[in-house]
Amino acid sequence: MLLTQLAVAGIQTGMLYALTAAGFALIFGATRVFHVAHGATFILAGYAFLEAVQLGLHWSLASGVALLLAVAFGLFMDALVYRPIQKHEGSFFTVFVASFGAGIAMQALIQFFFGGGFATISVPLTRAAEVLPGLYIAPVFWVALAVVVVVFAAVSLFLERTHAGLGLRALSENPELLRAYGLSARRLSALAFVLGSALAVPGAILTTVTTGIQPADSAHVMLVSLAATVVGGIGSIRGAALAGLFLGLVENLVVSVVDTQWSQAASFVVLFAFILFRPNGLMGRAGAR
Amino acid sequence: MIAYLVNLATLIAIFGIAATSLNLLIGYAGIFSIAHAMFFGIGAYVAAQVALTVSPDFLVAALAAAVVAGALSLCLALPALRVRGEYFVAASLGLQMMASTIFAEAHSLTGGVGGLVGIPPARILGFDVASPDAFLVLALACLAVTLAVVRTLMRGSFGRSLMALRDSESAAEAFGKDVRALKTLVVVVGCFFVGIAGALFAFHMAFVNVESFTLEQSVVLMAMVIIGGAGTLTGPLVGVIALLSLPAALSFLPFIPATEIGTVQQFIYGALMTALMIFRPSGIVGLSRGAR
Repeated sequence: MLLTQLAVAGIQTGMLYALTAAGFALIFGATRVFHVAHGATFILAGYAFLEAVQLGLHWSLASGVALLLAVAFGLFMDALVYRPIQKHEGSFFTVFVASFGAGIAMQALIQFFFGGGFATISVPLTRAAEVLPGLYIAPVFWVALAVVVVVFAAVSLFLERTHAGLGLRALSENPELLRAYGLSARRLSALAFVLGSALAVPGAILTTVTTGIQPADSAHVMLVSLAATVVGGIGSIRGAALAGLFLGLVENLVVSVVDTQWSQAASFVVLFAFILFRPNGLMGRAGAR
Repeated sequence: MIAYLVNLATLIAIFGIAATSLNLLIGYAGIFSIAHAMFFGIGAYVAAQVALTVSPDFLVAALAAAVVAGALSLCLALPALRVRGEYFVAASLGLQMMASTIFAEAHSLTGGVGGLVGIPPARILGFDVASPDAFLVLALACLAVTLAVVRTLMRGSFGRSLMALRDSESAAEAFGKDVRALKTLVVVVGCFFVGIAGALFAFHMAFVNVESFTLEQSVVLMAMVIIGGAGTLTGPLVGVIALLSLPAALSFLPFIPATEIGTVQQFIYGALMTALMIFRPSGIVGLSRGAR
């Protein structure tokens, strides 16, 4: 039963990783920006939600506030950090360092105002009930499942059926051609940041109400998103989501074999192995590197 | 006050070596490693173990530290040979995270979270160099040697081949450069020197634990190189001085509560990294020299 219990926990963590990593992969796929400040978006959304709820807002309004701030931060990074850099140089590492720096600064800012410890709010949803003998599942698991399914359905519909979604996919394949056809690459990349940042919000809110959130989560989320994007195959949103789920499972299942302290390292062993032996990832195109 | 300055100068020398060695990878070879604190840590742990169990002679400990760090750097060379860009950054991140866990959990080698304590004072060929002044001289001497070696290497054919590699790997290969050998060699040399820095750090602190060798430390080292100016000899040193003097400068500002200095400092170097990338991607020193 322990394995099943761990698997359930792993799926829950993995679903949240999947959403966040999909956001990262979407931004990277469309704009080629390695947006490692994505982790900062995550904690920003989490703390915004927390603060709004503590101010007495209804949870739906609080989620709106979190969404708004996350999207604003994404747009801010796109317009004021990445675009100026890409204008004059745009080497991969320059963008990466700038994003990293912004992530650190945002994390420090949040730590300054809210302290470095765990913050959480208790909601009735997290009380676990025994579903099968020995297997405990909290209602929040089903909420997470529903949210993930709905969000993914919406995102895939958007990317496959709408004009803007098509534009996003075109942007990743050939920005020059896109411009030649009179579409605005600027507007599309802003759209990628809006969507990608919004995808970090559900994970942030659900993490806040289940395990609690802390400023140091920024680095963890960044690492997981990055690992999932690489393992899933750079450029593939579906791959990133799948890999996020997989990493969440691995992180929880290894606990049955080794001590908990090693569980995070396990996901990085997976990452390292993928880079060495299968750099194109689960769903990447061959020769994509 | 004098004691404080001597301590600061010693740390500047130690991190100067570390940043200079990282600059070999980032600035000259275009290998963007975020796992440098891992090798700094390996050097420090090896030196500490040697000092505790074999001999407190600095030369023995530092040599052992540098050799082990250099040898283990093949873990980093392996992905460097296979992948580039984002993939390599991700691989080095993965390596750094694994190393932090091992530092914290391998109790028999690293003392776990508690670390290794009671590292004996450094000696060189029987002479005591444990006094702060003598140790500062030792650290500065190591820094001078490192700078001299890096300068000589980068002026010679090795350095030029590396820079060719950084600017265009395929062009370097087309001109008959052995890309694999060059990359492996530069990673080994870089990690060899950071191993020495680690040994100095272990003797200076007389205590090592995982706190000093985490991802944050790797980022700080990277920030030192980038802020100072990657690919220049003096850039990393300027970056080290700037970032290490920052906490001291901040503690003179009365309106920042003492407990928040660490956070404010983090904010400043985060913001500084971003701002520099937007306005001066070549760093403080790179700016006066124009394009690197």
